[in-house]
Amino acid sequence: MSHWLVRFDRHGSACYVSHLDTARALQRTFARAGIALALSEGMRPKPRLSLGLPLPVGAAASDELAVVEVVGECADISAALRALRAAAARGIEPHSIAVVEAHPHPVALAATYECTLAADAAAVSAALTRFANASQAVVERVSPKGSRRLDLKEFIEEAWCRPDGDATRLGFTVRHRQDGAARPQEFVDLVAGYAGVEAVMRALYRASVTYKGLPAQGRAGQSIGAT
Amino acid sequence: MDDSAKALPHEDALPEALIDLLSRVSRPGRYVGGEFNARQKVDGHPRVVLSYPDVYEIGISNPALQILHTRLNDDSSALCERAFCPWPDMAAAMRAAGKRLWSLESYADVGDCDLWGFTLPHELTYTNILEMLDLAAVPLHAADRGDGDPIVLGGGPGTANPLPLASFFDAFFVGEVEDRLSEIVAAFAATTRAQRLTDLAAVPGVWLPGSRAPAERQVFMGFSRSLPVTEPLVPVLEAVHDRAVIEVMRGCTAGCRFCQAGMWYRPVRERPVDLVVEAADRTLAATGCDEVSLISLSSCDYSGIEAAVTAIRALRPGLRVSLPSLRIASAAVQLARLGGEQRGSVTLAPEAGTQELRDAINKGVDDESFEEAVRATFTSGFTGLKLYFMIGLPGEDESAVRAIAEMAVRAAAIAKRIARGRARLSLAVSSYVPKANTPFQWERFAGTSVLRERQALLRAAVPRGVRVSFHDIGASVVEAALARGDADASALIESAWRHGARFDGWSEKFKLDAWRAAASELGQDLDEIASRAPAGDMPWEAAITARIDRDFLIAERGKAATREQTVDCRTGACALCGACLDDVQMDVVG
Repeated sequence: MSHWLVRFDRHGSACYVSHLDTARALQRTFARAGIALALSEGMRPKPRLSLGLPLPVGAAASDELAVVEVVGECADISAALRALRAAAARGIEPHSIAVVEAHPHPVALAATYECTLAADAAAVSAALTRFANASQAVVERVSPKGSRRLDLKEFIEEAWCRPDGDATRLGFTVRHRQDGAARPQEFVDLVAGYAGVEAVMRALYRASVTYKGLPAQGRAGQSIGAT
Repeated sequence: MDDSAKALPHEDALPEALIDLLSRVSRPGRYVGGEFNARQKVDGHPRVVLSYPDVYEIGISNPALQILHTRLNDDSSALCERAFCPWPDMAAAMRAAGKRLWSLESYADVGDCDLWGFTLPHELTYTNILEMLDLAAVPLHAADRGDGDPIVLGGGPGTANPLPLASFFDAFFVGEVEDRLSEIVAAFAATTRAQRLTDLAAVPGVWLPGSRAPAERQVFMGFSRSLPVTEPLVPVLEAVHDRAVIEVMRGCTAGCRFCQAGMWYRPVRERPVDLVVEAADRTLAATGCDEVSLISLSSCDYSGIEAAVTAIRALRPGLRVSLPSLRIASAAVQLARLGGEQRGSVTLAPEAGTQELRDAINKGVDDESFEEAVRATFTSGFTGLKLYFMIGLPGEDESAVRAIAEMAVRAAAIAKRIARGRARLSLAVSSYVPKANTPFQWERFAGTSVLRERQALLRAAVPRGVRVSFHDIGASVVEAALARGDADASALIESAWRHGARFDGWSEKFKLDAWRAAASELGQDLDEIASRAPAGDMPWEAAITARIDRDFLIAERGKAATREQTVDCRTGACALCGACLDDVQMDVVG
């Protein structure tokens, strides 16, 4: 068995695929590429492939993480990457593979997002200032299981904005804790509410995710990136 | 796979209007395409859109759509795209935003295509066709369409009686279209709608509503020599089926008298085993599936089944091979072949509870083979058994319904003896609806009150621990009202759609009230329409010739009354059904 960290991007129509379907698409990509994934134990074995952090439906990303266990040793990682790219679904495309010594269990510490709001940059900037100066920014999350109150001040590490044509590009970093994290939509709803605009995120993009316990790309083993 | 041939686009930008809608609906991935093996064809003439009138997850798995999409894009000048019926939340969002139905490949308006082809799977999808036409801003009625509108063509099993949809379609193709695609594409060399329709009418198998000349059902005699689709579209979303599908055989001559497909797709044609195995190998590579399903109307009757299963299993370690249904008479043998590492459930279809009734429907199942099949299910390692039955069959009485429960009791006892606590037994009970071009086309639909009584009778008689599910009676009433309907049924469908009927095949979306209101608006009663038994000439005989001899159907109906069986013409004498004529003949392996 060998353990791979596969980095992939998700864009275009594939942004509208759910977390589970993204994982299934990657499993299928491996199967089409002829690279056998190791299977879990038990009555109903599943391929050993997990994604680092669920990506919201509608969001693009350029550096998502999949942790996979592959049957046997791979002599030519660059050939494997080429095969994966050729077998990939449109918009869910592996771009690098790092081979690691042992199966890692990455824990997300923070994720950075960007999105466009149909609002004046000055209004969004003022909203961010209001957020920064507030002692609390509590939102209520309602689900079929009940409701939960979150103080977004505990989760949003930093936020910024810049003009983007007639609209505003909003960026923010969400801290992940053991008990969960704020959702991008929750922070955007809050900012849009402060700015007095409709809370419709456009072009949501996850720029990066920081993981605990994950060796930096290329250091723990052979790493190949697509050119 | 060829790396160089697959250029992955890094920008497949969605239109802004689409992005807005996608952010507001459930499962937005339904509306954007992007499947594995998606064709990258960007130009072609005519622009064709193929539709299955149900939601994406159902339609994407339809084998006919896969065949036509592949053949049109790969083997013709046409550019072929797809569209499915938007779920109600998306339909509402589209109407609110004034956005028209788009195709999954180019995101262009479906209404701007040259040819819009619908496969017509069953009556409970008909209101979805109107929904799609309306969302595409294409006039519902063919008579209201002009040069700027697509030609709307129907095909598939629904053309066994196209009359209820005649008002909404410009043309129908009756039968198997593979041989006629190039002629259909050629008809679009004309520039006017009128000329295109004239040219289409000259293609064998095409019927234009209003035409006095019925179209003859077409049979694809190249089936046995043709390779199945080996690079099918594989959805990124989870669909109803996730397996490599190989059609091993077309047609069925078992002769079940209730079965429309068994009559409609005659004669039997089989693909040679080596072609099936080659197709399986290529399809597995292209799809990444770990299961192959050998499909047909009755795969156990495929002459090469044993050789094919053995050879396909040898292709990949751990590969599963499944058959969609098992014939009870040979189930013990088939199960032994499939068993071993298999887990999960097996489906058997005795259809009726008494020997007398099974003989009447020509099912050819006796109690002994049934019990042997149940034993084989559990001794082969399967833990679940599902039994399919129908109620409301011609000649059925209450004792026949009680007999279904008695079969369940016997099956449960066998299951308990062999599999003990692990066994799961369930009954799926549907209501029989008489269909066009079958020996029972003259029979009366049992009706709501009879079906309700028999469901209650069966529910009370089924032993504890056996799960029983019934098909919605209201949906069967609608199906019966349309299955043998004439052109007047168009008004009923349209009125029901205007009253909110959509996704009638989905129990949570089915609105019987909308159908009752529609019938009432037309001064009729829905149950009365459903229970009419046509006499004399069948309405659809003016539109289609099914290649099934009318005298054969009459004789089969007579034999049902006397419980006389007709043997399969593969093994017995020709039953003179009329399917084999001139160049159309049975074509089996070996």
